[in-house]
Amino acid sequence: MSQVEKRAGLLRRTSSSKKPLKEKVVLMYDEIFAKEDPAKNNPRFWDELFLMKVNLEYLESKLESVDGEEVQRIQDNINSLFHHCVQALGEEHQIKVVNALQTLCALFRGVHQKNKSASGFDIINMLMGFDKAEQRMKDLMERLDSLLCGDGSESLKSLCLKLLLCLVTVTDNISQNTILEYVMINSIFEAILQILSDVSSRGQHGYDAVVLLALLVNYRKYESVNPYIVKLSIVDDEPTLDGMGMVVHQALTEYNRQYKDKEEENQGGFFSTLTSMVGSMFIADADEKLSVQTNEAILLALYEAVHLNRNFITVLAQSHPEIDIATTPTPPTRPHPQHHLAPLMNNPELPLDPNLQTSNLLITFLKYASIVMQDTKDEHRLNSARLCLIILTCIAEDQYADAFLHDDNMNFRVNLHRMPMRHRKKAVDKNIPSRPLVCAVLDLMVEFIVTHMMKDFPMDLYLRCVQIIHKLLCYQKKCRIRLHYTWRELWSALINLLKFLLSNETTLLAKHNIFHLALLVVNLFNMFITYGDTFLPTSNSYDELYYEIVRMHQVFDNLYCMVLRVSTNTGQWKEAASKVTHALVNVRAIINHFNPKIESYAAVNHISQLSEEQVLEVVRSNYDTLTLKLQDGLDQFERYSEQPKEAAFFKELVRSISLNVRKNVSLNTLSQDVLLKEFSTIS
Amino acid sequence: MMEDTDPDLSPSPSDQNSSSPSLSVCSSPSLSLPSTPSSSSCPAPGPAPSGTPPLGVISEGPGELSLVIDAEVAQRACQEVLQKVRGGGQPALSVTIVKPAQIQIREVEDDPGSVKSARRRQRHNPSKQSWLLRLFESKLFDVSMAISYLHNSKEPGVQAYIGNRLFSFPHDDVDFYLPQLLNMYIHMDEDVGDAIKPYVVHRCRQSISFSLQCAWLLGAYSSDMHISTQRHSRGTKLRKLILSDELKPAGARARRDPLALTPFCPAVSGSGEHGLSPSKRTHQRSKSDATVSISLSSNLKRTASNPKVESSQDEDSSSSSDSLEFETGPPVRLAPQREFIKSLMGIGKRLATLPTKEQKTQRLISELSLLNHKLPARVWLPTAAFDHHVVRVPHTQAVVLNSKDKAPYLIYVEVLECENFETSSVPIRIPENRIRSTRSVENLPDCGMTAEQRAGSFSTVPNYDNDDEAWSVDDIGELQVELPELHTNSCDNISQFSVDSITSLESKEPVFIAAGDIRRRLSEQLAQTPTTFKRDPEDPSAVALKEPWEEKVRRIREGSPYGHLPNWRLLSVIVKCGDDLRQELLAFQVLQQLQSIWEQERVPLWIKPYKILVLSADSGMIEPVVNAVSLHQVKKHSQLSLLDYFLQEHGSPTTEAFLSAQRNFVQSCAGYSLICYLLQVKDRHNGNILLDAEGHIIHIDFGFILSSSPKNLGFETSAFKLTTEFVDVMGGPDGDMFNYYKMLMLQGLIAARKHMDRVLQIVEIMQQGSQLPCFHGSSTMRGLKERFHMSLTEEQLQLLVDQLVDGSMRSLTTKLYDGFQYLTNGIM
Repeated sequence: MSQVEKRAGLLRRTSSSKKPLKEKVVLMYDEIFAKEDPAKNNPRFWDELFLMKVNLEYLESKLESVDGEEVQRIQDNINSLFHHCVQALGEEHQIKVVNALQTLCALFRGVHQKNKSASGFDIINMLMGFDKAEQRMKDLMERLDSLLCGDGSESLKSLCLKLLLCLVTVTDNISQNTILEYVMINSIFEAILQILSDVSSRGQHGYDAVVLLALLVNYRKYESVNPYIVKLSIVDDEPTLDGMGMVVHQALTEYNRQYKDKEEENQGGFFSTLTSMVGSMFIADADEKLSVQTNEAILLALYEAVHLNRNFITVLAQSHPEIDIATTPTPPTRPHPQHHLAPLMNNPELPLDPNLQTSNLLITFLKYASIVMQDTKDEHRLNSARLCLIILTCIAEDQYADAFLHDDNMNFRVNLHRMPMRHRKKAVDKNIPSRPLVCAVLDLMVEFIVTHMMKDFPMDLYLRCVQIIHKLLCYQKKCRIRLHYTWRELWSALINLLKFLLSNETTLLAKHNIFHLALLVVNLFNMFITYGDTFLPTSNSYDELYYEIVRMHQVFDNLYCMVLRVSTNTGQWKEAASKVTHALVNVRAIINHFNPKIESYAAVNHISQLSEEQVLEVVRSNYDTLTLKLQDGLDQFERYSEQPKEAAFFKELVRSISLNVRKNVSLNTLSQDVLLKEFSTIS
Repeated sequence: MMEDTDPDLSPSPSDQNSSSPSLSVCSSPSLSLPSTPSSSSCPAPGPAPSGTPPLGVISEGPGELSLVIDAEVAQRACQEVLQKVRGGGQPALSVTIVKPAQIQIREVEDDPGSVKSARRRQRHNPSKQSWLLRLFESKLFDVSMAISYLHNSKEPGVQAYIGNRLFSFPHDDVDFYLPQLLNMYIHMDEDVGDAIKPYVVHRCRQSISFSLQCAWLLGAYSSDMHISTQRHSRGTKLRKLILSDELKPAGARARRDPLALTPFCPAVSGSGEHGLSPSKRTHQRSKSDATVSISLSSNLKRTASNPKVESSQDEDSSSSSDSLEFETGPPVRLAPQREFIKSLMGIGKRLATLPTKEQKTQRLISELSLLNHKLPARVWLPTAAFDHHVVRVPHTQAVVLNSKDKAPYLIYVEVLECENFETSSVPIRIPENRIRSTRSVENLPDCGMTAEQRAGSFSTVPNYDNDDEAWSVDDIGELQVELPELHTNSCDNISQFSVDSITSLESKEPVFIAAGDIRRRLSEQLAQTPTTFKRDPEDPSAVALKEPWEEKVRRIREGSPYGHLPNWRLLSVIVKCGDDLRQELLAFQVLQQLQSIWEQERVPLWIKPYKILVLSADSGMIEPVVNAVSLHQVKKHSQLSLLDYFLQEHGSPTTEAFLSAQRNFVQSCAGYSLICYLLQVKDRHNGNILLDAEGHIIHIDFGFILSSSPKNLGFETSAFKLTTEFVDVMGGPDGDMFNYYKMLMLQGLIAARKHMDRVLQIVEIMQQGSQLPCFHGSSTMRGLKERFHMSLTEEQLQLLVDQLVDGSMRSLTTKLYDGFQYLTNGIM
């Protein structure tokens, strides 16, 4: 409370006649929480109230402390307060607007805090009164809309967005926030778009706007028609979509940068220890902040855009050379907001540096994904990784996205992060060749496959991973794109995955249907075997495929034994296992065809260990006697659909995002001293 | 004979509609309309020609608004001048003039085609003026002669006459000499300037592109003047006048006569039929657009259009408002194009700061993708031969060209052809993503395998591939009508076969395929794909240039949201920033002149002048030669000798394809050998010689011609580049083709010699006031003249050609120079 006192002291001038120890605004709050109509004795009560600096803590705690009975009695006054808040938003006097916005914030939050269990209708009744709710909310939304779209102060706009974020995240489960029904009816979608389409407003409010949009889209997504979903899906204005992409891009870039800084800090060696030592001397607590939090809110926004809006796909490939960023004006003197996202909006080190590569959203996203996918143990990271893979799935299914992923003219170096592992050295960043983007996607998938074979097996992520590869292959097959990719790495990663499944059969089977994954993997091989002629880059690569299969034949043999065993027993996996046996037909045919040939070649030539070249030679000269079975539907895949499969995941994700956003918003709205100063000097 | 060719003499203004050549040209497509300046319904304004001194009649100051230079006035002024010349030169009766003139004409008739002889005779004729007059009025008097007299004559009357005669020549003919005209305007005395200006001003009023062309050239050719004089020079003033956009089309004046305009307004704003007066805006600007400030910087800014903004606009304009951002407000007729050019140059400047090719390429692509947002607009590529609007730059196709420290780049530009870019409406923007299934299976070239073949091998496989038909390109037409449920398309109309359900379909007969077939198909298809160069980040242009043009056009068209439109065209242009293209332009003019001379004389020499656009003294654009890669790239990527490369590309030496490629090679070699000799083209390393898909060689980069050579190292003393590799392709030094080569050179030289003046004149005028290195020293013109060897007999010429060829073949310096280039620039 001492802080409150101190603040009260600061405002002494305005309340000189009152008791020395109580701030005038607090007294006025007390009047509201009394039974009587505060305006009864003082007709200018409401006018005066909004000239007072808001005491959020007091107001909120007051609201919380009111219990059931009292609520009934003071409801009229609270309704009245709400009503006057909304009216004050239309005032010319900006101080009043600021105070009204903050008061509304406190109202929403205080009421919800108190009545966590209460139904939405009770809350609406308490705040606005049932009969007037519709009109009040309509007024509120209209006022907010005109504030957001008007030429007013940027700080005011920012506060409007905070209020909206506060309102949207006030319940843990967004779909239970009944007030949002009014936000659905009185859409502020257009205001959000306008913020995103304008370079300067995007720079200052883009982040909040995008998060707000992502949350609104998730309100009762599966139960009702959400107008925000409908509207988002048909936006085709390029500057707006670009703006949205830019916000996501910058947020992800900032994350990547922070991660990189931290990684460099943690790396051993004299220099880094020195810097970290020096660093810890000066920025002792900065380190804390750098414990890089994943940013699911922004990722969710990216997902919704990619998933809902087919025009957004072009934004992914939209490059961002520095000029666009450089023209973003730095926000006016505003204190460094506390939450970790602020710096990215006016990042000073952004690039007039010729060594910096032009990047696009997709590249940044891939880098981001490579970071979060490294470690999926923590819940947030697991969610992030899953969402990343879902986004990639959507991308891989999109024709246009595939076209630019495979565009031979758009080559990029993408520095994916690789987990440091005992048996391999960290790849030297500089030597990554410039390639079409799809190579980076495949690299990322291979990287994931190799690095996550662990007891706590992320089956779900593996399935998505393999499906993404499959979708890309289908596109290549269909469009005859011969990608110059080192397919061998993929093959050996997949074979190792099968090996892992085999050796951990019992533990894994307790939790997962490993046969489904095995089937997908085997079918990837079938794609290469039967349709390799349509998309492999060289004739040699087809030989190498056979070489790899023959070389690792034991894995396939064992797999066959296993699935055969399971499918002949009765049990829950019978069906699933038998599918794998059928899928293995061609692989087994290859092994059975070439193995004897290779052995006899070795025998004839008296060589114990054949070189790779020799094996390839045997393969090449024995194709003609091998017959393969053509399997149906190898190039078909099930298209992604959010409902019903992913609905539960998104519900949980939105809940966790809500909590997080609420935390950040509350931190932020509370300290608007500077904001107030800004207005008091203006007016 | 004279009557039908000589409208200038006809005194009655009523004749003017019938045969005057100036009429048919000026009035462009809308011949009979009141807004055209020459129309009789609009009486010629301005002072009456009779009483005033004739030269004053057509001089027009920047501020004067009363004057319209139209054909009528010009014509009348011509007569005035003629009369003056006639009167001044020979005070006798006009009858006495006519008689010798007729004789003269008859003489000319006897010696057809020999303009020179006529001209030579003129010089020594005592009654010079009348001969001159006859010549001017004769059929043979063409633009070339007009320019030459304008340059050489010291007589103000003659200059003024020619200034007026310019109006009667076809625009295209005069346009060819525009650099000469403007250079004379800048650097010669006032009389010449006064004679030229009315014509230039008149044309500027008529055409935006002519205005810009003039402004650019004036800027470029004024730049060699001292800075203090430059600022106040005529050229700079005229340039400012043009850029200030005060030279509105004459049609704007017709405002005085509202009746004349009103009937056309609906047609203009209507269905996009081109309007009549270029000034008439074809789009009603929406409210929001009109409020946008007119400052140049905001011209480029797109008006943010989102539902909110658009809701305040009427339906019609909101759809087109996006595409108009290059034009803001009425006074900026020239602004969109200038902004467009400026942004292209800006990109070039920024690219130059990046260290590696790869970074440049990426940067280029991303910058262009931003540029795309501002298209379509009323902008065009001045190098194109037809009217069009630029609608899109397929940014991923752009490449950075090989250059050590500058960053020239090549872009492809999608345009929609239109009847008149000034009046036709700007196409509506179609978002990038409107084209979805960019490469559906149906559109694919089947990699050399017919559908039946594949069906044969996969006969029983059900074809699921048509799953994307709902997305195919054909839908685009309908998509213009916004479908609100578009997003539902992203959910599938794909058959929901899950992998599982299909693999477990066991009722079907199994289909077997041979592994050998798959492997064979793979290698066959790989072999059948046309030879391409391997992608090399250090030489990104090689791949792009190797791709056959038709192939590229097809590919880009498929991927373009505008590709379905019937008037879609693909153009390409090289943007040069930091390079002076004035010499290139000079070379282009000489090449084109020689080409037309050879064509006229029926000598089958082949050269390819490529268009040059000079934007300033250090920037410009070049029309790329399509289907051609440099010899350097050929050698580097194919690792073959030139002959082997020919064999690889065209087939064995006896095939028709090879023989025709070889013939093309010889004809182009002969053409360029002569050019190199006449113009003293230096710096002939393999990076500067292109080879096209038909076997022609094409020389590019005329940075060192006439009196300049690179670094003055004294390399390249031979007359032209003729390596043994070239001779090998021609079939060796003893072959028929080699003799044919020498024979072509001889014929070409004889033909060029015959029309030497036409070539010399181009160069000579440009020398005026120029600091270009090619004019360094005092002997440039003399040297050039001498290389035509006027004094030699044809036998002696043949000897000369033999000597030149032998010298070049034996020349060590060519080899040395290639070695030098290899060492310093890595050019093979």
